[in-house]
Amino acid sequence: MTRKLSLKKPPFLAAWTVNLFAPAEQAESILGDLQEEFSQVASKSGRGIARRWYWRQSWRTIAHLAGSGLRGAPWSTAAAVLVGFLLLRFAHGLPGKILTVVTDKYLIYWSNHFQAYLWVLRALPIEYLMGSALVGCIVALAAKGREMVTTMTLGLVLFAMAVVGTLWAVTVTGDPSYLWNLTWQLNDPIAIVMGAMIVRMRRAAATTLASL
Amino acid sequence: MGDRDYLGEFEHIVVLALLRLENQAYGVTVRQEIEFRTKREVSIGAVYATLDRLEKKGYVRSHRGEPTPERGGRAKRFFRVAAKGMAAVNRTHRAFESMADGLALIRSSS
Repeated sequence: MTRKLSLKKPPFLAAWTVNLFAPAEQAESILGDLQEEFSQVASKSGRGIARRWYWRQSWRTIAHLAGSGLRGAPWSTAAAVLVGFLLLRFAHGLPGKILTVVTDKYLIYWSNHFQAYLWVLRALPIEYLMGSALVGCIVALAAKGREMVTTMTLGLVLFAMAVVGTLWAVTVTGDPSYLWNLTWQLNDPIAIVMGAMIVRMRRAAATTLASL
Repeated sequence: MGDRDYLGEFEHIVVLALLRLENQAYGVTVRQEIEFRTKREVSIGAVYATLDRLEKKGYVRSHRGEPTPERGGRAKRFFRVAAKGMAAVNRTHRAFESMADGLALIRSSS
């Protein structure tokens, strides 16, 4: 009779997050080491303690990997963030400009289909976010091995600028309702980081396939 | 990187762990060896970030082991100290010994 090896599964979300931050060539060994120790802790102290151990190790590991990524290549990270910032300025203006050109050219068509024009206007924020995600992809492609930390830095810079701008607007106008804008401003960094996640996951999958 | 470089504190600890573990040095054993001997909690990320830096400096070499089921089919990455790493650890030790030489207070307080 053969006895099946019961593999204890660590928290999926923690493992997935570590995989996002670990350099592609290190991800396999880091996740393998965490899995091995997770099984040891689970056998010795129980699954609950093992899960807490795994989460704690994951956060500390991510902090170290992010820190070493920034320290290892500060100038290229800064350059990627700057390029991302400039690309965003271009990408955010583009849907509006295209709409203006199309509207001017097909004025008669739009005047007969005003509802369609309204739908296009409503879709503008989605195009704006897709532009941000695309910029996140481009920055991640340029910052190989530091995809997440670079795009998160870009996102943090953008959000910090939005906070300063909003606080200035609240101070000048005395209208606290401007603070609600910050919820929308948060979407932009999230879209950028999601773009980077797509690139990182595709790279991780390609590395796994190559190592088989 | 010059030939007169010294190891940082954690680099020094990691290299000594590799020397102790000989051909059984990979992420899990290195992390556990450091925790056992220094009594401080160490993350696997800190170990890998340091090993990666040491490998780039040429102090450490690594090779991939076979994938194992208890690791979810993932391979181990074994590390060993290169000749350049041995020279660096010796140099760092000599520097520490030289600095501590004659300081009776350090010995009596430990």
